Amino acid sequence: MSGPARAAGRLAALAVLLVLVYEMPRWLGGSVLVYSTCVTVAIFSVMAYGTDMVLSYLGEVSLGHTIFWAGGGYVAALLATRLGANGWATAAAAVAVALALAVVLGLATLRTREFVFSLVTYAAAVVAMEVTFNWAALGGSDGIIGIPKLTLPLPGGAWSGSSSAELWPVALALLVLTVAFIHRFRRSRLGLAALMVQMHPDLAATLGLDPRQVRLRVFVISAPVSALAGWLYAYQRAYVGPDMYESYFLVLMLTAAVLAGRRVLVGPVIGTALILLQQNYLSLGGDGDRIVLGLVLAGILIFWPQGLVGLWRLATRRRAEGR
Amino acid sequence: MNVGQQLINGLVLASGYACVAIGWTVLLGAARLVNFAHGQLYMLGAFVAWAAMDRAGLSYWASIPVAVVAVGLLGAAMQRLMGRLMLEHNLTSLMIVTLGFGYVVQGGAARIFGGEPHQLQSPLARGSIRMGELWLSGQDLLVFAVTAILFTLVWFALERTRVGATVRAVAEDPKLAQLFGIDASLVYLGVFVFESATVAFAATVVAPHSPILTSMGFDEVILTFVVVVLGGVGSVLGTLVASLGLGLFTAFFGALVSPAYTTAAAFAVVLAVLVLRPGGFAAK
Amino acid sequence: MTAVLACRGLTARYGGSTALSDVTLEVPAGAMVGVVGANGAGKSTLVNALAGWSRGRPDISGEVRLGGATLDGVSAHERARRGLVLVPEGKGIFHELTVEENLALVRAPEDSAGRHVFDRDEVLGLFPRLGERLRHRGGALSGGERQMLALGRALLAAPRVLMLDEPSIGLAPRLVLDLLVSVRGLVDRGLPVLLVEQNVRAALEVVDRVFLLERGRVVGQGTAAAMRDDPRIVEAYLGALVR
Repeated sequence: MSGPARAAGRLAALAVLLVLVYEMPRWLGGSVLVYSTCVTVAIFSVMAYGTDMVLSYLGEVSLGHTIFWAGGGYVAALLATRLGANGWATAAAAVAVALALAVVLGLATLRTREFVFSLVTYAAAVVAMEVTFNWAALGGSDGIIGIPKLTLPLPGGAWSGSSSAELWPVALALLVLTVAFIHRFRRSRLGLAALMVQMHPDLAATLGLDPRQVRLRVFVISAPVSALAGWLYAYQRAYVGPDMYESYFLVLMLTAAVLAGRRVLVGPVIGTALILLQQNYLSLGGDGDRIVLGLVLAGILIFWPQGLVGLWRLATRRRAEGR
Repeated sequence: MNVGQQLINGLVLASGYACVAIGWTVLLGAARLVNFAHGQLYMLGAFVAWAAMDRAGLSYWASIPVAVVAVGLLGAAMQRLMGRLMLEHNLTSLMIVTLGFGYVVQGGAARIFGGEPHQLQSPLARGSIRMGELWLSGQDLLVFAVTAILFTLVWFALERTRVGATVRAVAEDPKLAQLFGIDASLVYLGVFVFESATVAFAATVVAPHSPILTSMGFDEVILTFVVVVLGGVGSVLGTLVASLGLGLFTAFFGALVSPAYTTAAAFAVVLAVLVLRPGGFAAK
Repeated sequence: MTAVLACRGLTARYGGSTALSDVTLEVPAGAMVGVVGANGAGKSTLVNALAGWSRGRPDISGEVRLGGATLDGVSAHERARRGLVLVPEGKGIFHELTVEENLALVRAPEDSAGRHVFDRDEVLGLFPRLGERLRHRGGALSGGERQMLALGRALLAAPRVLMLDEPSIGLAPRLVLDLLVSVRGLVDRGLPVLLVEQNVRAALEVVDRVFLLERGRVVGQGTAAAMRDDPRIVEAYLGALVR
């Protein structure tokens, strides 16, 4: 098959896959739990992609992406409840606010090394939580309730929805867009520059790449990803609160990013899906699930740093050698 | 606002911060390891002491070594699991691993001790000393005493003993230390156990002054981080001085402005310091 | 007579490239063996591999024996404890510790069979300058003093065999010969020494046997007298001059 024909074939296959995934919840019973799990997997995956961008392409651990995640949710909540803004407006605002916050945090951490970078982003998240918790304008400890349906005006009428089943198309679309974005990013000049700075800093220097500029840019564009996840989460729960800063989301993001393996395109989705499947269908209670999640995170890095994909590759290679 | 009383409060806070931070900064200096489980280990120290008193009927004084040994052993177990990563100096992975461990400790503590607030009862907490208009509790005096003794011992051990020189050697160049016949992994184990044991010890003397919750702990790391950034990584004296500064700042900012935003304010100061004078934290 | 230190078929690989290829040599008791060769010939890789030590992550294969016993699976710090003491190229002491502390870090074992024990007084007698600077930080010493300190602490470890990697680097020419002559004095007292040196001329003055390395292979060996006129040695010497 020639080049363009192969590309067309691949696109067709992807389209079929997309349709299958879209119909999947209905085939699995169409219950509220199924749709809720699917939507949550999609949302949390997108959230994880934000952190994963920084982890996989900068080699840094950002512990501050909960700021963008919560920020996206709060922006959506505020604009929707106070100003009656529609979905497009709240999404755009979430992206804008995330970019602004990321520029500030990115500039502040520009000259910091690994663990200091992580600590500063961590501290920033704690501070953001403290401010959100205490500030009445943001709803304080009660948060913001009564977020209306997500309304997306389209040519030919507005679409709106609030239940998980209704939001599923939007969630899936957001996930697909995110994966496509990461796919483009990997091949973009910035993506390749980021990898080179991480792997071969000397070579990167000779090519005139400024590591700080690269870092800042990757960090800044990773923020709206997590923010849009928070944006949708606000509509799904119809509520935002300081609980969005909880370490649960942070640990989940990191586990999802490392569970499948570094720089695996659909890694965060696989990771998130596995974690949420355990939580929703094999739960050991709130605290028990927390123990499981923490053990998975530590365990992967200690015993199987290459992640599940790495293990799979090892197993297939061993089988091939065994023959 | 009574300046004298705020000064006392500030000093009490400072001692608490110093005790909590000393293990963390020694570990960071010696092994370049950020232990994100530090706050949870603090929480666990407080809860083990509380459980020893509440469920096993031990006295406050007897519960202290129980907490120190229990958390110290847990620290040893954690380090053994991380051993290979530590020798490879995979700092990124190590950080995330400690984050995971911290989460496990939090979940486990919630499972064992529940989610309700409790009070670590100390016989000294009720007694108080009055000096004119100023007062401090017996517990505060204990914290002062513990800080003074602990810091003196640590400084002496690091600067005047062979063990301390060994730790400083590994901190400077773990590879070279091998050629001197020093087993770096043993040093890492020792420093990690030191960190967990001292933070548990700090918990037993500091935690009595407020209710303890299994969810507390994620904030502890921040204050500790502030102290270490301001005082210099691995510096015993720096930790003391920075704790003093932070303690006084917290007391006066809390009294003058708002107690709720003190962490935010402290962090803003630290951020400014990091941006303007990265010092030992600057990127290569 | 078993050599104190011996290796056979020693090979070292870094990723795709081979730094050492099938090296076999030995250091007999009471002798000083020199390893010479041009830059990048693999001299440092050789002693590092013998010590089981590296700042990188090489893939080592081959046999190394200390006093007849194999060192397979023995870690670097354990080898140092057993008496295979390496003074590495470049940084060999701790800059943040004082001279006193650097010396005190090492302790000779109780069982000193087969080892050459030196006490502090002997070492300070050998290097009086160190005695004058006991309280100075390692980082505050001059290049020559640092080399003395590195060598001094190595002696305090009661080595079975001493390995020196390029001790002359950064030293004034007069100091180089002084240092090598001091080391020769120790050899004459029975301490076996493996010397890696780029300064071929100086090395030939003090060693008993010479191994010539080229691109990771032993391409020549013999007594110092015999190798002195070997054209490849002359080439290596010239190669070292024109760096």
